Amino acid sequence: MSADAGKPDEELSKQLQGWRVTTPLPPRFQEEVWRRIEREEIGVVPGVFGILRAWAGRFWARPAWAAVYVAAALAMGSVFGFLRAGERRHVAMDDLGRQYVESIDPYQMPRH
Amino acid sequence: MKRLALILGLGLLACVAGYFGAYVLHAGSAAGAMRSGTAPELAWLKEEFHLSDAEFDRIAKLHAAYKSHCAEMCRRIDTANAEVKEALAKSDHVTPEIEQKLAAAEQLRVECHTAMLQHFYAVSQSMPPEQGRRYLEWVEDQIFPSESHMDMSGTNGAHPH
Repeated sequence: MSADAGKPDEELSKQLQGWRVTTPLPPRFQEEVWRRIEREEIGVVPGVFGILRAWAGRFWARPAWAAVYVAAALAMGSVFGFLRAGERRHVAMDDLGRQYVESIDPYQMPRH
Repeated sequence: MKRLALILGLGLLACVAGYFGAYVLHAGSAAGAMRSGTAPELAWLKEEFHLSDAEFDRIAKLHAAYKSHCAEMCRRIDTANAEVKEALAKSDHVTPEIEQKLAAAEQLRVECHTAMLQHFYAVSQSMPPEQGRRYLEWVEDQIFPSESHMDMSGTNGAHPH
């Protein structure tokens, strides 16, 4: 440990005094801070949405888990899309089968 | 909060993209291509009974030959039906003429079904044996539905599977 430890760094102090925050605060920042303080003081139990938000915040804080979530959503969408397409395809195939029967059976052939 | 919304939005976007991607890939390919062709019912037959190009060509020729015969049968059926209606309109009881017209219409039905069966056998013999059996079972069920399959709605679009 150096002998200067514990003494104020004049250069750093000068830099800090000259530092100005130019980034604007988010809207209703102060109000939100006070609300949080109040909530902490009276011990408000967060609702389901709050719990979910907190959980998601923790879960998605890791990029790997966020990627897992997006991949799972993609897989789920694909499965639903595949199933729906299967249904539609089945209906279309039935319809084409009926067209085939109509093309060979004079008693089922549509008359124009 | 922004990060949370961004990830949530990305997930939803991925879900929607996955849905439409899978849908277009699976549904858009086969059925869509079949419908857009000149003879979708034949394209369906090829797909449904897993026919090779050579088998399909043979069956397409049989189908074309049968279609001209079928059109002639249609014309004769329409004429016979018109004659029955005309005879029915002239009388309020069953006359020998009505009986004769009904018998002629029935004879035509027999002739028509015989021609159809001959066509089915010819088509089934142009398919691989297993598919030929499946085709015969399916098509006979469509033309001559068993009692358990008959309903009053007149639908007969059962899938071969």
